[in-house]
Amino acid sequence: MPIYSLFIKNNDNKTAFLPKAFNIVIAVALFMLFFLFSIKRLGMEFDFSFLWSFRYRLAQGFAATVELSLASLVVSLFLGFLSALANNSRILVISYFSKVYVQFFRGTPLIMQVYLFFYIIGTAWGVDNRFWAGVLILSIFEGAYISEIIRGGLDSIEHTQLEAARAVGLKSGQTMRLIVLPQIIKRTLPSLAGQFASIIKDSSLLSLISVIELTQTIREISASNFAIFESYIFLGLLYLTLTFPISMYTRYLESRYSYEN
Amino acid sequence: MRIELKAVSKIFSDGNRALDNITYREDFNALAIIGPSGGGKSTLLRILGGLIEPTSGEVALNGKKICYDEKHLIQYRRKIGFVFQSKGLFNHLTARQNIILPLVNVHGYTKAGAGTTADNLLERFGLFRDRHKYPHELSGGQQQRVAIARAVAVKPKLLLLDEPTSALDPELTSEVLDMLNELRNEGLNFILVTHEMGFAKKACDKLMFIVNGRLAEYGDSEKLFTSPETEELAGFLSKVLEWNV
Repeated sequence: MPIYSLFIKNNDNKTAFLPKAFNIVIAVALFMLFFLFSIKRLGMEFDFSFLWSFRYRLAQGFAATVELSLASLVVSLFLGFLSALANNSRILVISYFSKVYVQFFRGTPLIMQVYLFFYIIGTAWGVDNRFWAGVLILSIFEGAYISEIIRGGLDSIEHTQLEAARAVGLKSGQTMRLIVLPQIIKRTLPSLAGQFASIIKDSSLLSLISVIELTQTIREISASNFAIFESYIFLGLLYLTLTFPISMYTRYLESRYSYEN
Repeated sequence: MRIELKAVSKIFSDGNRALDNITYREDFNALAIIGPSGGGKSTLLRILGGLIEPTSGEVALNGKKICYDEKHLIQYRRKIGFVFQSKGLFNHLTARQNIILPLVNVHGYTKAGAGTTADNLLERFGLFRDRHKYPHELSGGQQQRVAIARAVAVKPKLLLLDEPTSALDPELTSEVLDMLNELRNEGLNFILVTHEMGFAKKACDKLMFIVNGRLAEYGDSEKLFTSPETEELAGFLSKVLEWNV
């Protein structure tokens, strides 16, 4: 085996385990070296030991982010599905309402929505539980994206599938449950899993309205001891432990689906 | 089986007049509908299958009028088998599951009973080895044979087929037509929209020739092929048979 084959992709686009592992290690090392070099230039010394004394608060914050994200996933899936159905509605006002919703929330920054909705809508409607206010704001934002994913899934179902369902004598409810839903789920699962990673990251912005999740916990800790860099590096690593497995799972789902086509 | 059409017309919402005042009465075992593309053949078959409603006119099978409201149509479709040109199998289900689903969810079979029925059919039509494959893993001919197996699994009184072989390569076409011929010999009645003139002539006893939404000629299949009465059918046949061996 020539030595360059350890570094170059094969013609058939498949990479064996050994070159793969070898090159991943090198890439990660390069990435970290760049960081370490930058830190060296600034002449900084890092000390992560203080984190241990905050372990319970960090664990709580981590748990809160997981809870927040899971709750938002459920609510945003519901909103997204509803919005996708509404978008396809033959009643024009419902269809346009869904379109306006998707356009507005996809077209404006989450930070603006967080402030606006918490202080205006939240106050006006008496939503004062910050956790659930956070879940609601995040779900409305993510729901707009999920709506588009599901709408794409609905569009991808061929007309013949529906006609065949009618022809074998299924009722419309059965067609939805037995034919349409399983196909949408199969097709949109990779994108939805990716969206879940976004939810986890986006939930960090809820620290702006003092929802005590992971980012807010780190903000509080670093404000008390000024170890900003150590705190935020650690924060990044914690988010990665959540998003990395999801990203791997998304890839797996994508490869499985692309094979079917 | 006896089919009666009384002044059947279909005008789509875009104003396209797909069927124009078709009146027809015939006793048949296997009826082939032929004619140029876009002439209304598929529309007629969908009306017979209870998938779309005629704009006007009446349809009756064995003297029983089809009532075109959704509640009756659901019952009606359950007694009819329908095979589409392609992509009629449910994508997310294996060949076996495709046959089982209507048996369980529409016809009230137990899962075990439906499984046995499905396995017997798959065995019989040489599909048993591929029973756990998804539609995208099957050849076009296998897909159509599974679709036919799914349609006949419920023991329909009539099978309708909309160009079941026109998306297939020639060698796959014959495996589908052979299966159909076998079912016909067992007494299954079917109506078939097709461009396979050999099959229409040899395996079908009656023929309808539809041009521009009109019933231009009809009668015994053998006779129409050998001595067409209208210029239109004669012209059509000479064109489609021009390169036949």
